[in-house]
Amino acid sequence: MERARASWVIYLSLVCGLLFMLLPFPLEWRIFRPDIATLTLFYWVLALPQRVGVTTAFFLGLGQDLIEGSPVGLSSLGLMISVLVLLSNYQRIRQFDGVQQSLMILVLLMLTSGAEQWLRNGMGMPGLPWLGLVGLFCSTVCWLVVREILRSLRRYYEVS
Amino acid sequence: MVLATVCLLALFFLRDHPRVVGIQKMAIDGVAITTGVILAPVEAWDRMVAAMNSRSHLQEEVLRLQQENRVLKGQSQRLAALLSENARYKALLRSAQLIDDELIAAQIIAVSPDPSRHIVVVDKGTLDGVQQGQPMLGEEGLMGQIILSGERNSRAVLITDSAHALPVQVNRSGLRAIAEGSGAIDRLLIRHLPAKSDIRVGDLLVTSGLGGRFPNGYPVARVTEVVISEGEAFALVTAEPISALDRGRYVLVLQRTVGSGAES
Repeated sequence: MERARASWVIYLSLVCGLLFMLLPFPLEWRIFRPDIATLTLFYWVLALPQRVGVTTAFFLGLGQDLIEGSPVGLSSLGLMISVLVLLSNYQRIRQFDGVQQSLMILVLLMLTSGAEQWLRNGMGMPGLPWLGLVGLFCSTVCWLVVREILRSLRRYYEVS
Repeated sequence: MVLATVCLLALFFLRDHPRVVGIQKMAIDGVAITTGVILAPVEAWDRMVAAMNSRSHLQEEVLRLQQENRVLKGQSQRLAALLSENARYKALLRSAQLIDDELIAAQIIAVSPDPSRHIVVVDKGTLDGVQQGQPMLGEEGLMGQIILSGERNSRAVLITDSAHALPVQVNRSGLRAIAEGSGAIDRLLIRHLPAKSDIRVGDLLVTSGLGGRFPNGYPVARVTEVVISEGEAFALVTAEPISALDRGRYVLVLQRTVGSGAES
């Protein structure tokens, strides 16, 4: 097994995804903010399934919760489930063309926020509004862009 | 599997564990610092624009502010007289202790990215005396309350958050009710008010002081709609918050100190 290389690129991109959450959005527009952190995680799982997996998803979820101020662990479970699905199907999903892949990502995002919604219900927290689905579409639209940027980064720094 | 268990454990059993809360408190400060760094260029630009404002413009501004200050000072003179009068009456009635409110000026520096909540981060923390549960006021009226305070920054929930409710009172009739947040930034709901209650469109809702968290008498919202449907036991009342919750950055956090005026 060869040594892992340039793992800082992976973590830096995930941190950038989290920083994107901190960009100020007007209160009523927050719902349209694409979830760059989750997309970045999905990309790295697809590209390097042997490096990035459920553990990374767990910690990314913790980071999201700490930034949002929601109970710690709320986002982690959904991310972990999606990453599991991705890990068991990554070879197939890699072969998909852009549109198919985007649709797959949409399904995974729905799975993630569905699990979060379920936990919120269980804890008696206010649920995401229906308009939240629009936010998922915004994220899906960003998928191809995120994929291209991260792919060029991965090739440039030879992350493996 | 192990991580999933940790996750659920953390969610359902360790939610209020002091160490978890400690991490959350540190995260507030972290979020505040990072937002500050991200926004530094914008701030710098604003400052530059302000510096380039012409002299006459600034002079006009100063004049306007002086005028406003005079008016406010005049009003507060009357207020002081009323307060002391009130204190005398209270002393006569031997009622509860006199309470002095102290205000801490703060700034909203970030909004939580979670679209289902109305949570903001303000730039004052425990070091400045901001504590959990203290009310937060805007220029015109009540805005929310502090839910968690880190060392230098705190997190506050706005009154329109759908998990928030506060006891209010109709200023005109003294009718008491609970105003719940609706999740929309310009709307509060009062659900369980008998259909024959004395409440009208345009009524001012003020805090009632029940529940002990918010002091009484601060304006909260104005009633915009009263729906009474035939056969329903309760009226559905909608109100609009007085202070513009999604605009403006400057807020006041109310710190209560219990004085001993009543004994004298």
